[in-house]
Order: sequence, then C-alpha cells, then structure tokens
Amino acid sequence: MLELERPLLDTKTTCFHCGETCEDEIISYDHKSFCCHGCEQVYKLLSDNALSDYYACDINPGKAPSAQNFDFLNHPHFRDQLISFSSKGVSKVHFHLPAIHCRSCLYLLENLSRIEPAVVKSNLNFGKKELTVWFTESAIDLGALASLLARLGYEPLIDSGEEQAQQKKRTSQQNHLFLKLGIAGFCAGNAMLFSFPEYLGIEAGSLKSLFGYINIALGSIAVFYSGSDYFTNVWSHIKLRKLTIELPILLGILVGYLRSVYEVFSHTGAGYIDSVSGLLFFLLIGKWFQQKSFDFLSFERNYKAYFPLVISKMIQGKEQTCPLAEIEIGDHLIIRNQEIIPADAILLKGKSQMDYSFVTGESEYIALEPGNSMYAGGRHNGELIEIEIKKALNQSHLTQLWEQQAFKDPNHKTENWENFANTVGAYFTVVLLSLAAVVGVYWFTHDPSKWQNAVVSVLVIACPCALAISYPFALGHGIRWMAKFNFFIKDIQAFERMSQVDAIVFDKTGTLTLHRDEQPKFRLIRELSPWEERTIYSMVNQSTHPLSRQLAQYYRKQKLEIHETLSSIQEIPGKGIEAKQDNITFLVGNARFTGHILDKQQDFIRSESQLFIRIGEEPVGYIEFPWQNRAGIEYMIHALQANYEVYLLSGDKKSHAGTLLDWFPEESHYQFECSPLDKMNFIKKLQASGKKVAMVGDGLNDAGALKQAHVGIAISEDHLHFTPSSDAILQGKQLIHLPTFLKFAKFGLRLIKASFLLSLVYNLFGLSYAVQGTLSPLIAAILMPVNSLSMLFIANLGMNIKARGLKSYLAKRKGD
Amino acid sequence: MEIMYVMIGLSLLMAIGFLIAFIWSIKTGQQDDLITPSMRILLEEKEYKNNK
Repeated sequence: MLELERPLLDTKTTCFHCGETCEDEIISYDHKSFCCHGCEQVYKLLSDNALSDYYACDINPGKAPSAQNFDFLNHPHFRDQLISFSSKGVSKVHFHLPAIHCRSCLYLLENLSRIEPAVVKSNLNFGKKELTVWFTESAIDLGALASLLARLGYEPLIDSGEEQAQQKKRTSQQNHLFLKLGIAGFCAGNAMLFSFPEYLGIEAGSLKSLFGYINIALGSIAVFYSGSDYFTNVWSHIKLRKLTIELPILLGILVGYLRSVYEVFSHTGAGYIDSVSGLLFFLLIGKWFQQKSFDFLSFERNYKAYFPLVISKMIQGKEQTCPLAEIEIGDHLIIRNQEIIPADAILLKGKSQMDYSFVTGESEYIALEPGNSMYAGGRHNGELIEIEIKKALNQSHLTQLWEQQAFKDPNHKTENWENFANTVGAYFTVVLLSLAAVVGVYWFTHDPSKWQNAVVSVLVIACPCALAISYPFALGHGIRWMAKFNFFIKDIQAFERMSQVDAIVFDKTGTLTLHRDEQPKFRLIRELSPWEERTIYSMVNQSTHPLSRQLAQYYRKQKLEIHETLSSIQEIPGKGIEAKQDNITFLVGNARFTGHILDKQQDFIRSESQLFIRIGEEPVGYIEFPWQNRAGIEYMIHALQANYEVYLLSGDKKSHAGTLLDWFPEESHYQFECSPLDKMNFIKKLQASGKKVAMVGDGLNDAGALKQAHVGIAISEDHLHFTPSSDAILQGKQLIHLPTFLKFAKFGLRLIKASFLLSLVYNLFGLSYAVQGTLSPLIAAILMPVNSLSMLFIANLGMNIKARGLKSYLAKRKGD
Repeated sequence: MEIMYVMIGLSLLMAIGFLIAFIWSIKTGQQDDLITPSMRILLEEKEYKNNK
C-alpha cells in the first residue's frame, strides 16, 4: 500500500479584519487581504460609514462575522424577556456579547448609531461584556438588530431568564457588600480619630465622654450594619452544628464591642471600638476581594442551555417557529442540518446521520431511517427531516442525569466544610474558649478585679482575623491570575479544592482529542491522476457530510479545480456519493458501499473516520481523517503522572483511543464505552477509595462526572461554546498547562499556611499581655491592624511574585 | 477648649458628607462599571460627516 503524505501550502497572509491566517482563499479589497467574504463585508460596512478608526485602535481587532439569524427574538416570548424598558417608541435592550475583547470593540459598538440610524444610543459595559442599546423599534426590530451585531462579528448570547435573574442577584449582592465596606471604612477612620486623646494620654475631661459616645455610635453602625453577614452566617452554622472560622471572629468583635459599651457608659475606659471597626473594615476588604466574578461566563449551565432557543413546529401543515418551552408530546418538528434534537422523538421523514458525540462521547455517527427513535441532544447531519416528539422535554433520556443526587443538592461540594480556614477555625474556637476560661478562673481566684478585663482581652486579641484576611486575598489573587491564563475558576473555594486533588480523570473525545480539519492520510493502492482527483473533489464538494467537507477543504487548499459539470451525481445518505464522469463510475463512501473487503487489521481501526474510493470497478483504497490528540497532551499526561493518578474515560470504543492508550498502561486506569452515568459512578468509586478527584471534560456526557468530582474543569474552545456546569472553565489551548496551574493552587495554600503561622506569633505576643490582664487599648489598636496589614501584604506579594514567574515560564514554553 | 466642640462637629459633618456622596454613587450605579470609562476617554471623537 502506498502512503502519500502531502505538504500543505504554507500561506502566511493574515486577514486585515480578524487577524486569522487566510487559509482557503485570499480576498483582496482596498489593497487589504481578508480571509473570507464576511470579514470583507464588515470592512466595507465600516469604511462606508466612516468608522475605519476601528482598525486604528487595535491591530486586526475584528472577529469573523456570523450569519446566524436572530429573527426568532421577535417572538413575544423573547422580546418581553430581553427588552427591559420601552417608552415613546424607544426601547432599551441588553445584549450579552462574548466576543468583546478590545478598545476597537468599544469604538464600534458605541458608534452603532452610524451604521444603523434606528439606534438612538448604545452603551457598552466592557467588564460584563454587555451592550445596552436604545433603539426605535418601529424602524428596526429586535431580531434585525441582533442579526446586525452578529454580522459585525459580535454574536449575542441569549441567556435564559434564569441566568439573567442570577446575574442581577449577584450584582445587587456586590453593591451591598461595597456599601458595607465603605461604611465600615468610615466608622473605622473616625473611631480612630476620636480615640486619639486616649492613645496620647491627653486629659480631655468632658470631651472624653463625648468622644466615647460618638465612638459607640460609630461602632454600632460598623458591627450591626457592616458586620451583619457574620451574625446571619454564624447563626446558620450553629443551627447546622458546625464550627467555622466566623464564630471566633464574631465572638471577638462582639465581646470587644460590648466591653467598650460598658466602659464608656460606666466611665471606666475608652474601649476597643477603633480596633473592632478597623478589624471589620479589613475583613470586608477581604470578602470584597474574593468576589471576583466572571459575569461573561456561566458556571451553572445545564442541558437546557445546550438546546436551541427556538424550534420549527409543523402546525396544520405549516412551519412555524416557536420557543422551545412550547414543545408538547406529539408535536411534529422540522430539523435541519446541524440542528439539535430537543427531546426524545421518532424520525418521520428523511434520513439522518445522528451525531451523539456531545451527549454520549461516541464519535461515530449513527444512521437513522424513518421509524427509528432518536434521543435528545443528538446533532442531526444531512437533509431536512421531520420528527415527532415522544417525551416531554424534562423526561428525555438525556435529562435523567440531572435527576442524580449531586445535581439536586446545591451544597454537595461545600457541605463537607473541609476547607483549611474552617478546619483551623474549629480548633481555634476550642483552644480560644478554653484559654479564656482558664484565664478567667485564674484571675477570679487570685484577683477578682481583673478577671473581666483579662477574658475580654483574650477573646479580642486572639481572634483569627489573620486567616480570615490572608485566605480571601491569596486565593482571590489566585483566581485573578488564572483568569489571565484563560483558566476561569468559579470561586475561591474551587481554587482551594484544586490544591487538594490527588487523582485526575480525563474525558477523551473533545478533551484530549480533537477532530481536526487537518491533513487527511491517503491510504491508496495507487496514485490518483489529477483528473481523478478533480472528479473526487467535484463530488465531495457537493456533499454536506462532515468527511466530504474536510476532504473538499483539503483539496481547496491544494488549489485544485472542480469539474464544471459531472455527468451524473447522486448522494445516498448513510452510504456515500455516486457520480459518473466520462463514463467512469466513481464511488466515494463507506467500505460496503464501495465494495472494499476489510481484513482484520482494518476492522480494528475502522472506527477512525475513513472515506473509501472506488473508480470504475477498482477499489483504490481509502482516505483517513483521524481523531487527533491535542498538541502537547502526551507531555502533559506524563508530567501529571509524576504527582497524580491519571485516569481516562470515554464514551467511545477502545479502538478509538489510538496512541493515547500508550500513556495509560494500567487497565484499571481507563474505561471505555461509558455512559454519562458510568462516568459519574467511576468518579464516585474513586472518591469512595478516599481520592480527591479532578474531572476534566467538555461535553454534556461529562456533566455528571464534572458535578460529582471534587473539582470539575470544563474545556471550552471559545466563550460561545457550550460548557456544562462546572467549577472551572479552561480554554482548550491552555489544557497542556494544567500541571502548572495545579501547582500554583498548591502554592497558594502553602502561602496561607505560612502567613497563618506568622499571625500566630502576633497573637501570642498580644496574648502575653492579655492573660495578665494588662492589654491596653493602644496595644490592641496597633497590634490588630499591623497583623491584618502584614497578612494582606504577604498574600499580595507572594501570589503576585509566583504568578509573574508562571507568566514568564508559560511565555517561554509558548516560544519553544 | 470650646473650639474643639466646633471642630469635632465640623469634621464629623464633612466625613458624613463624603459618606453620603459614596452611598449616592453606589445607588446611582456609578460604581457598576469601572473599566469602560477609562477606555472610552482615550478614543478620539472625530467630527462625523455623513457622506451619503
């Protein structure tokens, strides 16, 4: 057998609009090159409207446009949900545009009114990637507006109502916290001012009591308004009978506050109001800092987000679009090429090649004939088909996964409370309370005048605020830095869980392997003549089958030309294409169709996508489009195996794994032909043996495993791509850096532990005064902020230095 | 020493004034987007002529 490897044409021309390498063809316009007509159209549109400055703000700022039609948004179901305000003919709408990435985007989107006069005003929120448009609805409808944005390269992502409500709730929570933080800062600053005479030992006389009262007022606001979350949290923890770090903190704050009130009203001292409100201020800074949210990403998606928003329903012989929610059992739907089946159904008309790879992980297409049943989540390939819905949306085969316990319990990962801060907090509380008791009893028997003072000082000075501050700062920095490397972690708890992981499970299809549009392998018994190649190119060029499209694209890169006409051509779905040219019959398709006899070895690898060719009566061989491993993946697995147990799961057959299996020598470390439920149970089994498991996957079929795992990492190629619910979203290209990221998480936790030890030194110093009952408010006022500030300093410096090192390391690896 | 009463009153009033300004800025959404205005200010506003 001959094996012909063809070098690809290496074109280095990049598109003026989007900066992508022009691969298929180069379009020249206005002395500039474009990769496709779409990009060229956007350029034309912009230059016609005197918006060429778009290209001056940034280099190749554009994104390839999308032809997606958004007319369905005009349906009242979506219109009422999206339009937030409408008055005097002007409507206000928010669009979520994930493609926003640079200053040019800002320039273009805020000048939208120049392209579309019906737009009154547009306002962009860059951080949230959200565009607010005021427009005249009588001149342009919502669907056309969304389509215009898509045509410019900013395809709107239409969130479900649930997601929008969640985001609103988050924003209001953030504002609330910000308000509390500001007020705590105000109280702390002023309380320190009014405590000055006390610090300096000035005899202020009557002023002293006035200052004391003002301090009490400020302290009350700080404790009961700014610190209100501590009360509600501790109360809910007590109800659950859990000891957390917030309990000793609240105890310290409350005891300090009450003691101050007593001292001021009995004119016996000045109290600790300044220290207490200062501490609250630092604690709230920490809380605010840890709230890094990625508003443009959603970590809570379920199967509903994967389904189309609208479907085409047959009503009395007529096709009508309607929202997905309106599907009922017995409805007839029209499904076009590449559309997703929304619910379990039966095929009525047409033939289909069903792609279940996202749902089951199986890469092979399944051929369906009328009468066959099909399952929700499959992607249809081929001609237009008609289906009849057999099961309601939420009862389909696919959705049973979401009925599992892991999905129903919202706290299933957090309820074990096994994070470092809470574990330490529990010990801390016990030690602190016993110490206070011992000190109290000692002084009560030796010098009863001192016992109150000593107990209060112990509780105030020893509160574990250092941990409560270094924890959110170190981990908050961690997720901020990870986001810069396109690794988006849901919250700091997920970051901490990442540091505990000791086993990693990978999904195969879509995670470790990619179906790349790359060089096909020619396994033919003889070389094809240019004329034969042109004929095959002409045939596959007319087909929509994925393999045909890949082959056509390959030939296009070879600058091959198609025949103007073929004397006859017929596509037999599920089999192949038959065509006649110059009285020679060409067959391109599967092995049985083309009359190839497969020997055993070929049977073994048949799962790799192959296209067989027969010219005349002669079967000439096949062209192979292998599933390819993601670049650098072998190195990554090797690096991980040094420190972790690495497993492989796949919905595919074992024969699909190819060279990947070389990296998993032990049989217990891989499992093939897994259903989504099997994957989830595999994780459960590992967890039962005491492992902390990280799951890395991409499809709906991994959703259960991602949810069940200690850390679920979803792989995504771009922001528009669907990601199942998970703890972190990692860009596909960055997957090879996973070992480095995991190391960084471990470093973060080590840093917290180190700074905690340092804070213990401060605490012991303070305690040495406190147990003697001689802690003055001045020492407390100095010691507590210094302690907090040094925690903040260590967390900031440590994480930033480490991350900068990481950044230069990754830049170097990229250069290699 | 009487002047101290006046000074304290004034200092507290000023601080409360700033606090109210801060609360107002949050309530009116001025803190919602801290990124975009910093980018917007660098874009040149050119006179827009409609050639059509």
